[in-house]
Amino acid sequence: MNGRSEKPIEKRETPTYLVLIFLVLLLVMGMVLPKGARSLVTHMMIFCILAMGYDVCFGLTNQCSLGHAVFFGAGAYGVVLSMLHLKVGILPSLFFSLGTGFILALIMGLICVRLSEAYFVIITAIFFAVFHLFAMDLTWLTGGDDGLSLNLPPLSLGPVTLSLYHPMVNYYFVLIFLGISYLILNRMARSPMGKIFMSIRENEKRLQFLGYDVFRYKLIAFIVSGIFSALSGGLYALTLRYGSADFFSFPWSIMPVVWCLIGGIGTLAGPWIGVVIMSLFQYYVSAWWTYYLILFGIIILLILRLSRKGILGYLISRRLRQKA
Amino acid sequence: MPEIVSTTLFLLVNGLIWGLIVALIAIGLSLIFGVMGIVNMAHGDIYMAGAVLSFYVVSMLGSFWLSLVLVPAAIILIAAPMERFVLRPYEGYHSTTMIATVGISFIIQQIALGTYGGIPKKITNPWPISFNFLGVDYPGYRFLVACISILILAGLWLFLYKTSYGILVRASMQDREMASAMGIDVSKVLITTFVIGSILAALGGVLAAPINQVFYLMGNDVILLCFIVVIIGGLGSLKGTLIAALSLCSLEGVLASVLSPVQARAAIFIVMIIVLIRRPRGLFTE
Amino acid sequence: MNGGNKILETVSVTMRFGGLTALDGVTYSIREGEVRGIIGPNGAGKTTLFNVITGELKPTSGKIFLRGKEISSLPPHAICQEGLGRTFQLTFIFPEMTVYDSIWVGVNSRARRPWNPFILAHQVDDFSQKTKEICHLVGLEEKMNELASNLSYGDQKILEIAMALSTRPSILLLDEPTQGVSPQETDNIAAVIEKLSKRITIILIEHSMDVVLRLCSSITVLNEGRVVAEGSPKEISKNEEVQRVYLGEAS
Repeated sequence: MNGRSEKPIEKRETPTYLVLIFLVLLLVMGMVLPKGARSLVTHMMIFCILAMGYDVCFGLTNQCSLGHAVFFGAGAYGVVLSMLHLKVGILPSLFFSLGTGFILALIMGLICVRLSEAYFVIITAIFFAVFHLFAMDLTWLTGGDDGLSLNLPPLSLGPVTLSLYHPMVNYYFVLIFLGISYLILNRMARSPMGKIFMSIRENEKRLQFLGYDVFRYKLIAFIVSGIFSALSGGLYALTLRYGSADFFSFPWSIMPVVWCLIGGIGTLAGPWIGVVIMSLFQYYVSAWWTYYLILFGIIILLILRLSRKGILGYLISRRLRQKA
Repeated sequence: MPEIVSTTLFLLVNGLIWGLIVALIAIGLSLIFGVMGIVNMAHGDIYMAGAVLSFYVVSMLGSFWLSLVLVPAAIILIAAPMERFVLRPYEGYHSTTMIATVGISFIIQQIALGTYGGIPKKITNPWPISFNFLGVDYPGYRFLVACISILILAGLWLFLYKTSYGILVRASMQDREMASAMGIDVSKVLITTFVIGSILAALGGVLAAPINQVFYLMGNDVILLCFIVVIIGGLGSLKGTLIAALSLCSLEGVLASVLSPVQARAAIFIVMIIVLIRRPRGLFTE
Repeated sequence: MNGGNKILETVSVTMRFGGLTALDGVTYSIREGEVRGIIGPNGAGKTTLFNVITGELKPTSGKIFLRGKEISSLPPHAICQEGLGRTFQLTFIFPEMTVYDSIWVGVNSRARRPWNPFILAHQVDDFSQKTKEICHLVGLEEKMNELASNLSYGDQKILEIAMALSTRPSILLLDEPTQGVSPQETDNIAAVIEKLSKRITIILIEHSMDVVLRLCSSITVLNEGRVVAEGSPKEISKNEEVQRVYLGEAS
């Protein structure tokens, strides 16, 4: 037997090199895009982080949560409130985002993760709805749906001082986080932990009989998911320079699901395709038809019909089967 | 009778009656879950559709009573194809089906927005008398709502426990595979159950319309309440859902007088969390 | 082969579901090194017995001991960690994972830190080694990189066994490992089990008398949730009550 172990064929995730190429593309685009497009792409990159975060929960461990708006909103307010009341800088405020995401995910996870499928969906939906209600109501804390505005301090990185008000700086700031998030999650997916997550998706009960405390791993996945979702919320607040109770609203819970379904659940970067398609769809279609949400509903029905695993997942599956 | 007692009594009765309406809707949800294994996320929008359709019947035909008959008929035309062509293909994949119902929810809401409009409107009170009970002036319409709801629930009970078709539905709730193996045409049972569940929601909407305003987003608040009710009562347990609906709505009604509505809702939420921690499958399921 | 220590023992295990009694005071024990067959007509409670032993169900009353330690109320994953492995009657595998990965997951479960998020899975050398050993042991090494769902049914049954083995159990519970499989594959599977029987204790639920007589050193017969007979294959095949119990079966 050779000393170095044989690498099993791993085609479940989007090939890493493709993603890296895409990231380099984003790097270049930042310099050549016109202002409006650059802003749109910045938003899309933030959504990609949210989509990836959600994919850890939905795609990797098959937990269909409708409550991720809680993490997104909390992440945003982590930034907003820490800046307004504690006067922290930009990077520390993001730590508050991550921290809030972690704590909320831990609490929610301990209550929700052990529930069966249907109960899990309902209870996560209840959490988001209640948080939304509170956020709208506690206007002294959250500003209600008018929200609270931020004055961003300069970002000092050693000898260099940058301002996030400069769109290019903002763009690359987000891009760096997207890249780091992808690398971390990709690494995790290829680690033993990632394999365990995959097996949960494949056959949860069997895994128990292989000696794994499945609840613990589902909880970990849920928490990781919450942390990255909160990160995206924080970045969104920084980019928009404000946070409002709207960040807890239903679209932020349902869009990650749609992104993952279109792009491919469990593939981590697959949902980015969903982000791009849906962002463009919303940008253009909502302009000419007020009732474009009907199309949105129809899209959901169609992609679910096509394949439970989303477009990319479906293509990967087909390729894997054809290999046989 | 001292003021505080009569006010509390008033709120309690109000809450109970609202609880009856919510019970109708939540039982519909529970019934669908029991047989199909899915939670219909568009259930609240069917409630809304019932209210909207009732508005049209009342404004065009002038009779509230007619809407009690016509709306369920219309809902059959919406719910049956929905089950057959949209939900059936996803059979077995519960998360997928539930997301599909979210898609349906968007569609129904937008259609309502487009046809009925975005402005909340009221239906005139079909029985604008009030009578005095224990020193409190009580609106007659609400009394009517109570009677009608109880009649509907009684009818449902008769159907499930006294008719042969009802037995089939209950058998399917217990064990779908077994039912199928015994030769029961499960697909008929699925459609029937879904339609009945949806009619219950729609009737809830018809009854609620004169009390609340008819608004294209009214389903959202109600579905949240229904979710909390079925979590506490236990998905699939009709008795549990009924008890949970009555207790929660009366509790919320009474609390809303001393606290703000949001705080009352928060209290209910906390009750739910406590129940969930102790009994993850609800109070009334095994 | 017999005469080792008692490795698994059930004491008066009863399992009731509402009005139905699936197991009624089942008391028996297995010694290390045995290959114990469990036979009985459909509905006798054989799979229920497995479910109770492996922790999927909690017995209504009675106790179960694994090497002297009580496991009656432990959850399935803890019982597995104690050294019990099982297969399932209908193949219960990871459809979209490769054979290698499926077995690797089980091997990984006994690691000190199976959840390590910092290393790359395929770089854990000695797991890779152990995984390959198991593939080799059951004869699946040529198909290591095949998707589980692409395997033939017989191979899937073998994969089931391999997965149960991967957690390095000291006792293996096999639930109808040759069910629904062609005669040649039955032979194949039986050969694998024979190979395994030399190193671990095995309990085997089977319908095929051929396989039972070939592999088992002793047999327990269950009917209607009760132990009806116990003994060597020879004794059992001559036992009148056993014949009566099976007479109704179109065997």
